[in-house]
Amino acid sequence: MTKTQKNRLTATGHYTVLVLGCLCVLLPVAWMAITSLKTMQDITLSKGVELFPSGPSIANYITIWSDYPLFSYIKNSLLSVGGSTIFAVICASLCGYGLSRYEFTGKKFLLSFLLVTQMFPAVMKIIPYYKILVNIHLNDSAVGLMIVYASFSIPFCTWMMYGYFKTISTSLDEAARIDGCTPLMTFLKVVLPLTIPGLVATTIYAFLQNWNEYMFASVLISSDSKKTLTFAISTMADAYRIQWNYLMCASIIASVPTMLIFVFLQKQLIAGMTAGAVKE
Amino acid sequence: MVLAPYGFVLPATITMLLLVVYPIVYGIYISFFNTNLVNKWKFVGLNYYVKAVQDVAFQHSLWMTVVFTTFVVLGHFVLGFVFANILNKPIRFKTFFRGVLIIPWLFPDVVVAYLFKWILNEQGGILNALLIHWGWISTPIGWLSSSATAFGCVIAASIWKGFPLVMIQILAGIQTINTDMYEAASIDGANGWQQFHYITLPALKPILTTVLILDTVWVFKQFTMIWLMTAGGPGNATMVSAVEIYKNAFNYFKYGYASAESVFILVICYLIGVVFRRLLRDD
Repeated sequence: MTKTQKNRLTATGHYTVLVLGCLCVLLPVAWMAITSLKTMQDITLSKGVELFPSGPSIANYITIWSDYPLFSYIKNSLLSVGGSTIFAVICASLCGYGLSRYEFTGKKFLLSFLLVTQMFPAVMKIIPYYKILVNIHLNDSAVGLMIVYASFSIPFCTWMMYGYFKTISTSLDEAARIDGCTPLMTFLKVVLPLTIPGLVATTIYAFLQNWNEYMFASVLISSDSKKTLTFAISTMADAYRIQWNYLMCASIIASVPTMLIFVFLQKQLIAGMTAGAVKE
Repeated sequence: MVLAPYGFVLPATITMLLLVVYPIVYGIYISFFNTNLVNKWKFVGLNYYVKAVQDVAFQHSLWMTVVFTTFVVLGHFVLGFVFANILNKPIRFKTFFRGVLIIPWLFPDVVVAYLFKWILNEQGGILNALLIHWGWISTPIGWLSSSATAFGCVIAASIWKGFPLVMIQILAGIQTINTDMYEAASIDGANGWQQFHYITLPALKPILTTVLILDTVWVFKQFTMIWLMTAGGPGNATMVSAVEIYKNAFNYFKYGYASAESVFILVICYLIGVVFRRLLRDD
């Protein structure tokens, strides 16, 4: 076998593996999309393999808005996830900056504490959270959920921002300080603007993580008008008969924000996903 | 000026004390009581811990968690490694392939759980329909309702959902390796496998360890997918610890006992971290 033949063989192997992988990813997703276009009759009466809907229609996507309070679900998700993301990113930027610029007693402890909290199993926190939020009357509310989600995001966001701040030279800080800037002004006016890409990645990451959260919403929220979108999807399936077409339709709607974010901010997102690993 | 660093870290630290430390301490407190969290608080001391150690169901759930974590993390790493290696080669449509392979990570757990539940469904599920159509089986199989197949299906769905993150992180690591090393190696006559073994693996070790720790802890804590696909069933065929604890707390209202069980999980997760970090430090 000559070298070119061998190279061609390897290349063919590579493309085969990639195409197979993509099929494994895309076929289930395609099935979700196809199901969302079917009527319930198509689904229940089908005998054998009927891949495609008898008359594909986007009717499900229209009626689902009137059958379920989707707007209110989305509003609840945006409120609790958005609020917690903003709060977490502010705390994390300040903390990450402080950790990257100063030596102080307890710094090492704080860093490992933030890492260890990643390991606390969520199921361990859920019982105390439930009790505490009931005590302060914040269960079954977007604000309560916001508090919980913020606590998930702060440790990881701080680590990410800490990594980004470390890549920026401290000589900038010193120059600003000589020009008479206070530490806070140095942070806000000089260093923070340089970490905008990192800030974007951190924000996206926190948003996605909490947008996808299910367990805490399912325990802390009880009334229909307060449900987040992912939790609401699971309660659609709890009904006596599962309407798969509606369920898949709602699933696609719930995935749209993450997909859009990915399409538009692919570069930042991938940078963010890898920040933790490469910085080690 | 001495106080400046504390000013910066204060908001995050106070929030973490209130939202993480306090609930964890409170959770440990609850584990000493037979309680309904409202008006019944009967002190039982360490009884629940003793009970948890002897509880066959809890032991079974721990074992299931270990098996689940092993297979899922292994799957993430095998797929992540294979795809990352190929995506690092000079191939066409790289952005397209990478974009498609990331898709599973973008779906919420809830969505992935129901998608696979629907595909594997006994009535009208596409997998059964296709297998019958091709004549491989004659009657539909209840993939998630029979204990022989349920665990495998849940593992497969979890691998599908989680491999992109590992893939992207390994890819980022591979891209930091200097390509001159491969050229030099191939001039010296090293084949693909030798290059992988002697250049890629050692260079990736730090990143692999970090990703391994994070992925193991994340999979160990996995709840949503299993809860929504099988709720631990049929019987206890997919009963991992997170589901077992959730059921004890919110289906049977045994809050104290569930808290004691979760303290065990906390200790185990912490030990996983310590062991892996020691492995990392040795290099």
